[in-house]
Amino acid sequence: MKRYEIRIAGFGGQGVVTVGKIVGAAAALYDKKNAVQTQSYGPESRGGACKSEVVLSDGEIHYPKVRTADVLVALSQPALDIYLKDLKAGGLLIIDPLTVIKEVPRTDVKVVKVPTAEIAMKVGNRRFQNMVALGSLASLTGVISPEAFKKAIQEAVPPKTLKQNLEAFEKGMDYVRS
Amino acid sequence: MKHPMLEYLKESGAYGDRFPTIFCPGCGVGQALNYALNAVDRIVKKDGVPRDNFCFISGIGCSARVTSQYLGFDAIWSMHGRAPAVATGALLARPELRAIVVTGDGDAAAIGGNHFIHVCRRNLDMTILCMNNNLYGMTGGQSSPTTLRGVPSTTSPYGNVENTFDLCEMAVTAGANYVARWTTAHPQQCIQALEKGIRKKGLSFIEIMVQCPTHWKEEPAKMMKKFKSQGVRFSPEKKGETLKKDQFWVGEFMDRDRPEWLETYQKIIDRFKE
Amino acid sequence: MSEVEDTAFEPLLTDEEAKKVLHGPLPPGDHYLFGSDACMEGAIFAGCRYYAGYPITPASEIMEKAAQRMPQVGGRFIQMEDEISSACSLIGASWAGVKAMTATSGPGFSLMMEAVSFGVMSETPFLIVNVQRPGPGQGYITSSQEDVMQARWGHHGGGSIIALAPSSVQEMFDFTIQAYNYAEEWRVPVILLADETVAHMREKLTVPPWDKVKVVNRIKPQTLGIVPEKFLPYEPYEGKVPPMPAWGDGYRVNVVGLVHHPDGNVTKYSPEMHMNCVSRIYRKIEDHADEIAQVEGFFLEGCKNLVVAYGTTSRSAFEAVQELRDKGRTDVGFLRLKTLWPFPDGKIRSMVKGVQNIFFPEMNLGYMIHPLRESLRDRAEQFISIPYLGALHSPDLIIDKIREVIG
Repeated sequence: MKRYEIRIAGFGGQGVVTVGKIVGAAAALYDKKNAVQTQSYGPESRGGACKSEVVLSDGEIHYPKVRTADVLVALSQPALDIYLKDLKAGGLLIIDPLTVIKEVPRTDVKVVKVPTAEIAMKVGNRRFQNMVALGSLASLTGVISPEAFKKAIQEAVPPKTLKQNLEAFEKGMDYVRS
Repeated sequence: MKHPMLEYLKESGAYGDRFPTIFCPGCGVGQALNYALNAVDRIVKKDGVPRDNFCFISGIGCSARVTSQYLGFDAIWSMHGRAPAVATGALLARPELRAIVVTGDGDAAAIGGNHFIHVCRRNLDMTILCMNNNLYGMTGGQSSPTTLRGVPSTTSPYGNVENTFDLCEMAVTAGANYVARWTTAHPQQCIQALEKGIRKKGLSFIEIMVQCPTHWKEEPAKMMKKFKSQGVRFSPEKKGETLKKDQFWVGEFMDRDRPEWLETYQKIIDRFKE
Repeated sequence: MSEVEDTAFEPLLTDEEAKKVLHGPLPPGDHYLFGSDACMEGAIFAGCRYYAGYPITPASEIMEKAAQRMPQVGGRFIQMEDEISSACSLIGASWAGVKAMTATSGPGFSLMMEAVSFGVMSETPFLIVNVQRPGPGQGYITSSQEDVMQARWGHHGGGSIIALAPSSVQEMFDFTIQAYNYAEEWRVPVILLADETVAHMREKLTVPPWDKVKVVNRIKPQTLGIVPEKFLPYEPYEGKVPPMPAWGDGYRVNVVGLVHHPDGNVTKYSPEMHMNCVSRIYRKIEDHADEIAQVEGFFLEGCKNLVVAYGTTSRSAFEAVQELRDKGRTDVGFLRLKTLWPFPDGKIRSMVKGVQNIFFPEMNLGYMIHPLRESLRDRAEQFISIPYLGALHSPDLIIDKIREVIG
């Protein structure tokens, strides 16, 4: 894999940065790839388009940010509005239909709707929606093994919510398989 | 007969040409230094503290010149107002050092005000010797935060329009363990206060009023005699009493045992020791 | 003021938690770290055991890591009342024999200049990390390279410093160790010119086996068998730097910031003494620029269009160079400055014999292009600055500018 670029975006508080951290850790520590993860502090992050990016590669990674994303996970409408243009033709778009309500204005990308907030509520709290999104991302892209993800989740979340986080992750994976 | 404190000064070899000192004739800084060295001598002899554990840290001004190659100790002639910060770094790096910060009224109360307040608040184990001559001597006689209201100086040619700080009150309020003020006309009390301050854990602030005959244009002996009447002995019962315009309290203002910074932090380090 | 009983202090830590921590540097192997954390771990590895700092975005995370780690490794951390005292305290800690550090950004960096100046004159080793953010004034809180000149010229007066520019999490670790090695070897304040992007990035960090990493410590007079009575505190040893004792070692050094003789005397002034003193500390670094500086070149054979970069911008630039080369422009080469100061004229001239165009992307309005232009004034036809403020250049920005010129 030369360069695989993932961008996750949403409102502050939706756990966008945590997902980026986990993807990076899973790839770098457990799947023996190179991964660079960054997040934005810029003006867009105030308006509901907080973003986290991960660039994966089997080789050395130079430019550490997304040029054209292979995958965009948009958990808020502003996130989609601002970042859709950087998704490459044929790229994967994962959206939560609860918050991303407008019609996706591109026909050259693969759109997958995952009700992450709804599924997270079933696990116990809307806060787990980022893990649901992560599960879907893991399953749809297949770039990092689920085992690597699970190990990274374990390192990243507090022990008392580990079970629910893993459950949300599994549900996210299952949802897109069906 | 050789002055006993010369043992602590660099008298010979390359440094021999620095005597007599740069201080003006009759300057109180030399006296204050003498009292400090006497205090150190007592600690070395009575408590067995190695002489080389002492380090003198000064900022800028007449007071700061004591470290400019006179002292037979580790010393630093650092930056204006920053001596407490330099001392902080030295103590945290090597806690067995006995840091003596030598400062003046301008150095400590103006540019160094913030650092002065915070080392007192932190109650770090150092001794601050403040030589207060009520102006900026080295730079030519400008007014300082302790210059009395109405008094003329090179920067208050029509009279000082400002009020003063009471450095001892500030040290007490900020949290220092030991605070005292004396004058060059009180040699024994100065030495005792310094000895007590150095020995005591926590921040010790000792202010010594020193005469600057050059800028105040008075004979040094007259100024010292005046100190004796200007200095009113303090006691807690007298707190709240009003003094006359050019009088000031002398004595001990605070002597307490609040926890000191290094010993508090040490508890964290000790917890991690395997 | 009322006298309040101070309650006893107990660390907020269980015994199990205390046992689980790392009591020393990171173990060898792969780690996945925040850039700021990698920098602090590099410092710990190099032996830093004193940190003083003040909160400022985007450098606060380095300080927070220090607060957590210093007591674990037997060091001490203190949050000072401002950046001025933070930097000044490094001087005291260094003279007490300990490697010391602080981290800040633009506004704090400006406040530290007096301490840097004092460090240069007194030849006191310490490390300042500047996680650069845009300026002037409060500027902004994103990425920048706007303090690269200030690092060299911001301290009043003469003398010289050493500065490095890391571009990855690995380099936040490696370059911090290197920075300390420079500080100890050359007895000088060293500045690590990081930026918000690299500090807030997460990437793999590989720690080599500990015995494979070089850590340099200052030479003490006692190690050389020089007794206190014979010790001249400002006399270079073997023409390089004076040995540096620690306070408490018995050498009774009087550290000064004034121009001085080799024995430390500041009262016998003469123009000759003045010139000798300042030119020695200046030449100490500048005469060894080629030895100290680290520069790497890629595709310099047959290069007609040279892209030069430093810090995190190097990653965008290298990506741009590779894309141009992949698309057939094999006359494009790349030069990366890993250290920014001292600026190695000789080394750069030995690497770049003659090109047509030099392109220099910087996250500022074009600063390091000046010494570069001076250095290669007769080796290139054009010098084109590619400025961008507030964020990393995208490779496309650099490619477009280059294409504008070379087609």
